Amino acid sequence: MKFFYLRYWRESLNDWLFIFNREVRQIFHDGGALLFFIFLPLGYPILYGLIYTTESVHNVPIVVIDEDRSATSREYLGKVDATPDVRIVMDCPNMEEAKEMLRRREAYGIVYIPRSFDHDLAEHKAAHVAVYSDMSSLLYYKSVLTANTNVSLDMNADIKVRLSGNYTNKQDETARQAIAYESVNQYNPQAGMASFILPAVLILILQQSFLLGIGLLAGTAREGNKQHDLVPVERHHHGLLRIVFAKSSVYLLIYFVQSVYCLGVVPRIFELPQIGNPFTMFFFLTPFMISVVFFGMTLSTLIRERENVILVIVFTSLILLFISGISWPGAAVPKFWKAISYLFPSTFGVNGFVRINTMGADLLAVRREWDSLWILTAFYFFTACICYRFKIIRARIKTYKAYREERSRRSQGILTASEE
Amino acid sequence: MTRKEIIENIKRTARLYRREFYRMAERPVYWFAMVFAPLLCYVFFTTLMQNGMPESLPVGLVDMDNTVTTRNLARTLDAFQQVEIKQRFPNVTDARRAMQRGEIYAYFYIPKGTTHKANRQEQPNISFYVNYTYLMAGSLAYRDMRTMSELASGAAQRKVLLAKGATEDQAMAFLRPIVIDSHSLNNPWLNYSVYLCNILLPGILILLISILTVYGIGTEIKDGEAHEWMELAGGNIVRALGVKLIPQFVVFWFMGLAYIVLLYGYLNFPCHCGIPTMIVAMTLMITAAQGLGVVFFALLPSLRMGMSFSSLWGVLAISMSGMSYPVIAMHPAVQGLSYLFPLRHYFLIYVNSALNGYPWQYVWTAFLALLLFALAPLFFLKKIKYSVLNYTYVP
Repeated sequence: MKFFYLRYWRESLNDWLFIFNREVRQIFHDGGALLFFIFLPLGYPILYGLIYTTESVHNVPIVVIDEDRSATSREYLGKVDATPDVRIVMDCPNMEEAKEMLRRREAYGIVYIPRSFDHDLAEHKAAHVAVYSDMSSLLYYKSVLTANTNVSLDMNADIKVRLSGNYTNKQDETARQAIAYESVNQYNPQAGMASFILPAVLILILQQSFLLGIGLLAGTAREGNKQHDLVPVERHHHGLLRIVFAKSSVYLLIYFVQSVYCLGVVPRIFELPQIGNPFTMFFFLTPFMISVVFFGMTLSTLIRERENVILVIVFTSLILLFISGISWPGAAVPKFWKAISYLFPSTFGVNGFVRINTMGADLLAVRREWDSLWILTAFYFFTACICYRFKIIRARIKTYKAYREERSRRSQGILTASEE
Repeated sequence: MTRKEIIENIKRTARLYRREFYRMAERPVYWFAMVFAPLLCYVFFTTLMQNGMPESLPVGLVDMDNTVTTRNLARTLDAFQQVEIKQRFPNVTDARRAMQRGEIYAYFYIPKGTTHKANRQEQPNISFYVNYTYLMAGSLAYRDMRTMSELASGAAQRKVLLAKGATEDQAMAFLRPIVIDSHSLNNPWLNYSVYLCNILLPGILILLISILTVYGIGTEIKDGEAHEWMELAGGNIVRALGVKLIPQFVVFWFMGLAYIVLLYGYLNFPCHCGIPTMIVAMTLMITAAQGLGVVFFALLPSLRMGMSFSSLWGVLAISMSGMSYPVIAMHPAVQGLSYLFPLRHYFLIYVNSALNGYPWQYVWTAFLALLLFALAPLFFLKKIKYSVLNYTYVP
């Protein structure tokens, strides 16, 4: 009896090894699988990083119309030009010419100082400056407005000091700003684009490339099989758990290496904020990777042809990016879509990774995400097993039917020419 | 050409169409990519951003002073449209932890003695901490909190001025001598939906079109039907490709029309050039995307490489269009590449015509660029014919 168990374990380990080897061989002999498992996670983050690596928009070209031409207006414009956000490229005589610059896309904003500017200031009336910005990108608007707001606040303070006729420096300071304030940019000190979008994109690349790879392999297996079945009927493919575990361990092995590269090396290359504890990261990413693999295996049972997987997976990347609550604030995602987002490991993966990596959170702070990922892992493990079980049964039924047909044909003595 | 030849040609084309329709009918993935996927994205993006601008983003408050004045301040901040004080914390550490848990996007810190100092004209210091990891939520919270801080400072000074006997008008003119009137041209609501959906929806369409174009041609080789296909077309590659792409074009054109009607007809997004111009732009964009797909197949005549590159290009295009991050700010090495993305040219057409309503002379180059993309396959006809007939499918 004891030996029976021993034999059982040896056998299952053998099967496991067989399927493992077969899967590894398949990946490394299949250009498509190599592309998705190896080259996509290697190259894509670099391309994406290059686009955003400048982090923020500086020196947006703007034009000015100075109808006042006073010392104050020149001071104002000089200060605007000196901000890092914008750069004055032309002094236009009138609005029409300024608009022409906008139309030719040589400038993205207009600052208009009316004739009465200095006069109003002298009369202690509010002096208006009109600022127009091109809305083709919100970052133009942000730059143009930030530059002007900062300069106006600064000059306002100076004017206040001049008017109040104080005696001491301390009084001047209070006149400038009765209550001083400071703003602290946390975790992304330069308010940069790459530091903001890249961590989320990295997680998504990892998820999507593995979904693509696993789907592609399943498609290949079905195409290469006589009866178009995912699971071949032969000696080593009969234990459900053996198949599922063997396959998933191959994917996980590659996944681990790619995660170290994507999440550990790429942020270094582009100098993104990275203050997370590597061990916390590892603990957090474990359920993420496992759930993605099982999710991929579940999805892959639905793929009939290998190339279809590209059509099905790729376009969802954008939806997943927006639904994850990074580029569009999670608090503003409608309830319905939020519920849908809980089905995808990337939603929790992105949020958890960003918080650990960029914001230095500990495991306790990402507890909700971590728990959710384990729940997804269990759920997708279950679905993967059900789908594979279904496939195994179907493959056997098919083979059995084929065998029965063959036998009945033979027993009736109808042999085809080739068999004779 | 004699009459007989013309009739023969028509028959041949008709047979080719019939074959193509059968192919499309028996593969559900065609309909998934042509109808279901675009519609899903249309519904998703327009409902996701239906409010235009995120509202009531959760922020925190650490009020160590806790006086009438500071409570008033908090109430004013709460009344701003974009932020809402969801939590109050006894100290900064707790607020920081809540930020790391993702519960709040920013917090306001009022130290002890703020009111006291303000009354004694001793310039107290208040601060706000903004989490820029969520750049968009952070920027919005920053804007409201900064306005709030300016208001707080102004309110304190106003109190002093009024006590000294100034009138309300005099006080305001003293507090804010220079006033900025900001005009965000053609999107005065700062509506994010206008800003994003106008490019995301066509971007996804381009992505799907170019992948499906490669798929359509590549599966002929994969199924080993390429010779039959070319034979049926009479060895004419233009006819073979044309018949293959026109049915896809028709379906995608209606999908394009759907987003134009949805955005400009139903949601009333700014469209200063009129809907017909955008329909022309959309039509050109679809042909350009098909052209791009054919070129990818010509350059990489294997199904998977062609499809992978189409997807790579299509997804990158969303970033490269310059919608979210301006092209002028990108790494110089990448800037020039942006011309190779049809979506970039569509973006320029949209911005100049629909959003800003500039006349034709400012956009014709973008139209021309899309046309070039659409015509690009003409340079590769021989190559395509050769690869269709001679290449075998590599898995």
